[in-house]
Amino acid sequence: MQDSLNQLVEEAKGAIEAVEDLAELDQIRVRFLGKKGALTAMMKTLGQLPPEEKPKAGQKINEAKQQVQALLGERKQRMQDQKLARQLASESLDVTLPGRDCDLGHVHPVTQTLQRIEAIFAKAGFDIETGPEVEDDWHNFEALNIPETHPARAMHDTFYFDAQTLLRTHTSGVQIRTMENRKPPMRVIAPGRVYRCDSDQTHTPMFHQVEGLIIESDATFAQLRTLIIEFLRQFFEDESLKVRFRPSYFPFTEPSAEVDISTQLFGDGRWIEVLGCGMVHPNVLKNVEIDAQDYTGLAFGLGVERLAMLRYGVRDLRQFFENDLRFLKQF
Amino acid sequence: MKVSERWLREWTNPDLDTQALAELLSLTGLEVDGVEPVAPAFDQVVVGVVTSVDKHPDADKLNVTQVDVGEDAPLQIVCGAPNVVAGMKACCAKVGATLPGDFKIKKAKLRGVPSHGMLCGATELGLPDDGSGGLMVLPEDAPVGEDVRRYLALDDQVIDIDLTPNRADCLSVAGLSRDLAAMANTAWKQPFEMVQLEGQGACPQAVTVSEPSACPKYLGCLYQDFDAEAQTPLWMKQRLERGGVSPKALIVDVTNYVMLELGQPLHAFDADRLQGTVDVRLAVADETLVTLEDKDITLSPNTLVIADDQGPLALAGIMGGRDSAVHDGTQRVFFESAHFTPQAIIGQARRYGLHTDASHRFERGVDPALPEVALNRVKQLLQSIAGGRFSEQVACVDSAQLSAPVTIAMRPALINQRLGTQISPMTMHAILERLQFAVSGGEADDVWQVTSPSWRFDMQIEADLMEEIGRIHGYNQLPETPVTAPMRLPHVPETEQEMSLLRRALVQRGYYEVITYSFISEEQHRQITPDVTPLMLQNPISDDMKAMRASLLPGLLSTLGYNQARQQSRIRLFESGRVFIPHGDQLQQIDRLGGALTGLAQPRGWEGQDRPLDFYDLKGDVETLLSMNGMLDQVRFVATDTETLHPGQSAEIYRGDQCIGYLGQLHPKLTNELDLNGRIFVFELELDALREKPLPQAETISRYPAVQRDLAFVMPVQQPVQSIKEAIALVPTDWLRQVEVFDVYQGEGLAADEKSVALSLHMQRVDRTLEDAEVETLVQSVIQKVAETAGARLRDDAH
Repeated sequence: MQDSLNQLVEEAKGAIEAVEDLAELDQIRVRFLGKKGALTAMMKTLGQLPPEEKPKAGQKINEAKQQVQALLGERKQRMQDQKLARQLASESLDVTLPGRDCDLGHVHPVTQTLQRIEAIFAKAGFDIETGPEVEDDWHNFEALNIPETHPARAMHDTFYFDAQTLLRTHTSGVQIRTMENRKPPMRVIAPGRVYRCDSDQTHTPMFHQVEGLIIESDATFAQLRTLIIEFLRQFFEDESLKVRFRPSYFPFTEPSAEVDISTQLFGDGRWIEVLGCGMVHPNVLKNVEIDAQDYTGLAFGLGVERLAMLRYGVRDLRQFFENDLRFLKQF
Repeated sequence: MKVSERWLREWTNPDLDTQALAELLSLTGLEVDGVEPVAPAFDQVVVGVVTSVDKHPDADKLNVTQVDVGEDAPLQIVCGAPNVVAGMKACCAKVGATLPGDFKIKKAKLRGVPSHGMLCGATELGLPDDGSGGLMVLPEDAPVGEDVRRYLALDDQVIDIDLTPNRADCLSVAGLSRDLAAMANTAWKQPFEMVQLEGQGACPQAVTVSEPSACPKYLGCLYQDFDAEAQTPLWMKQRLERGGVSPKALIVDVTNYVMLELGQPLHAFDADRLQGTVDVRLAVADETLVTLEDKDITLSPNTLVIADDQGPLALAGIMGGRDSAVHDGTQRVFFESAHFTPQAIIGQARRYGLHTDASHRFERGVDPALPEVALNRVKQLLQSIAGGRFSEQVACVDSAQLSAPVTIAMRPALINQRLGTQISPMTMHAILERLQFAVSGGEADDVWQVTSPSWRFDMQIEADLMEEIGRIHGYNQLPETPVTAPMRLPHVPETEQEMSLLRRALVQRGYYEVITYSFISEEQHRQITPDVTPLMLQNPISDDMKAMRASLLPGLLSTLGYNQARQQSRIRLFESGRVFIPHGDQLQQIDRLGGALTGLAQPRGWEGQDRPLDFYDLKGDVETLLSMNGMLDQVRFVATDTETLHPGQSAEIYRGDQCIGYLGQLHPKLTNELDLNGRIFVFELELDALREKPLPQAETISRYPAVQRDLAFVMPVQQPVQSIKEAIALVPTDWLRQVEVFDVYQGEGLAADEKSVALSLHMQRVDRTLEDAEVETLVQSVIQKVAETAGARLRDDAH
């Protein structure tokens, strides 16, 4: 019997190896293990054996069945694996081809710079204020201690609509509006577009400024200097940035200073002017009915394009307003 | 203001090299714009006298010269300059000399004749062309053998200082050096001795001042019997040139020199051309004047003039007139040294398109004590150069109108408190004295009385003195102290959409942000916003930048064109900014968000699936923006017909009855007119509408199953689908959650002018599972309402 079992197993093995698909494999299962299958038939012959041989013979037949079962299972798995492998091979892609619809635009570098400046000050508790771009003479000049006959008016190259209406030449007018509308103390910055009637390689008739204002009862000029130094070091992320305060003149601040920076990051360590600042002039405080005995003001105004140019290595100011996609794409 | 470093150092001489001196000037508040050497490096060039000139035997254009340079024997030098003549003095580079450009002078033979050096022209020495057309001609009294650098004082720098308008007192060498000395703490000394010259005889020229408030001081004197041949000395010419003033003739040069030296502008009239009394008065309407620069001007009645009996002679404090000016043959000169107030001069020069050294100074203010000093200095200089006689001074002075020195009460403790410093009172005292303020008060006094010198009329209040003390103490010496203020938590509004998020949403959809000018051409304004009267600038930079934009489109479209012209085909731009819309006397300044786009809907792919952008791509972008503050449900898109947009592909966006924007394809006619290519899509939205954001209020989410029914309606092609949605909205129910359009069909099975619109109704109750019967009832009411209100019938073959 053992011989015929072995023979059957060998026969099954050969047949299993030779199959080509799952249906054929199933036929083989039926042929050997089905109700009428060869090994099932062997089982039926057990009854004819003497009782003492039955258990052993049964065990043998079972072993043979299990062997065939295992061969079938293994073959089925192999065929499934091959099928999957074929499917996967057929689905293989060129992963180096670009993906679909990758379509990201860009925020303008001037906006990015503005956002950066706003973020730095907002985190220190500054509120963000805005004001009109078509401004009146009072807010742009008069209230800022720049009367009609002041020579500083000539420095401003103002665009006029009529004698009293103009395009704001600086964001300092927002200082006035803010002080008119709010009670001190206050800390605000006012970003926005400003306009000067000037156009050449280093001037565009429109540019952006950020005005800063602090009104506190005990603000000092030394604090203003410290604030400006800290801001510039944070903005340029350069702790070793050198900052120089130079006495200057703005009708709306006294004392006034212009601020230069020097760094190894750009400009070969030359002094580069970046902003103007000062303590709010008592006349300005008077114009907005803040008592100069009780409060002092610190103010600064910085040119956004200038900072953007230094930060991003932009050489030509006019590129900001040409909006060439190839330029904008870099930011 | 430009000034010679050597001249400045004659007045005060800090122990600093040029660069450090320039830095100190800047830190004084006198910003140095640039430092230029007056001549490049060269050496061994000396004054030579040409003793003989002979034709070169073998060259037509060359001469063989003998040049005495003060050595034992003259040098033989072959020279090609056309203006070489025997007896002239010229710059001679000796053998061994190095000229600018590292050009070395060696012994040479020129066409066989040995040459031992080179005679130089101005440009060969890197000096400004002197117009001689060859060798630079030196004065006859130039000392032979003297080093040219020394003789012409070429080891000097021109320092260019950009003065702020408050520092009019520094518009002179005296003023600059005075402030520098205070900063550097060095001695300040007038480098010449001023001798008071007494005039001889009364001044025959009568003077009157009709406008003493504009001209509180007018001094004059007559100068005659001088050497009319006398020339401006070389040193004076050099200082004028280095100060940015071209030398002309002696009389004028001396007045200019004194202006640069002391800061007082002066004027010289030809006394023989004055008729009657000189009067300082306002011009009368229609009076005219021909200026020194031959410019004919018609005077305005409020212009201050110097006039004689015949009419205006000069624009006071600005420029003289041609007819009364000194000239080569002038025998008698009337000098004017006057004080004009800034109020009288401001704006006048600009009105006539003039800007002069005099007007620059008078507009900012000149020391009222200067006219006497300056006139005396003119006399002193001219006397020594050209001899002659000066008359006594004629003077019209109205002391009451002259600005008196201001005395300011100053509290040293307050100065320290405001500056954030601890400067000792004695240091403050010393600083003020260095600046020549008169201080009454000492260490023990809380309040000092500080009187400014006559030239510091910019000092008005205590804060001005604070700046002076801070400046001289040194801004960069201020201690580092952070701002201290009570901590206050910020207001963070949640019902306000942040602009940065809107911007980010567009960037994520492939848009590039642009920033364009707020002013455009009138033509652009008319093309895009024909119904708006433009707000026009009075003084635009150019015609292209004349009208304030009433829409963001002109800038967006010209930027789109700019990029199309640079071979970009897929362009998506947006800008956020202000537009300006006049309504009668009122001006609306409105913030908007606008976009312009063209090209493929998506970046070009490699699958051949690319399709051009269409209206619904644009609308998806706009709907995204409107969804960000949950507003999309509240807006209606209403088809429009305007001149700027495609009549079949454009809509206005309404919330309630307020139009908050529009979108659509740019009208092909306009696309053509603007030289743009392809289909251009645009949108513009009011930022205020996008910014408002309701605070979300949570609703219960249903636990019961939802039911969906699909319906298809047939309606005219032209009828908007919105009409069905609006009809359905009229059905009273609170459990019809959503109506979604999922198919729009035209073609077979429908009449040519009909379309079928398929909708999904999503129904769900919060309180229980829906029953079939109530669903059926609702569906029937929807069908009925749509039929009644929108006139659309149910499509037969639906379901």
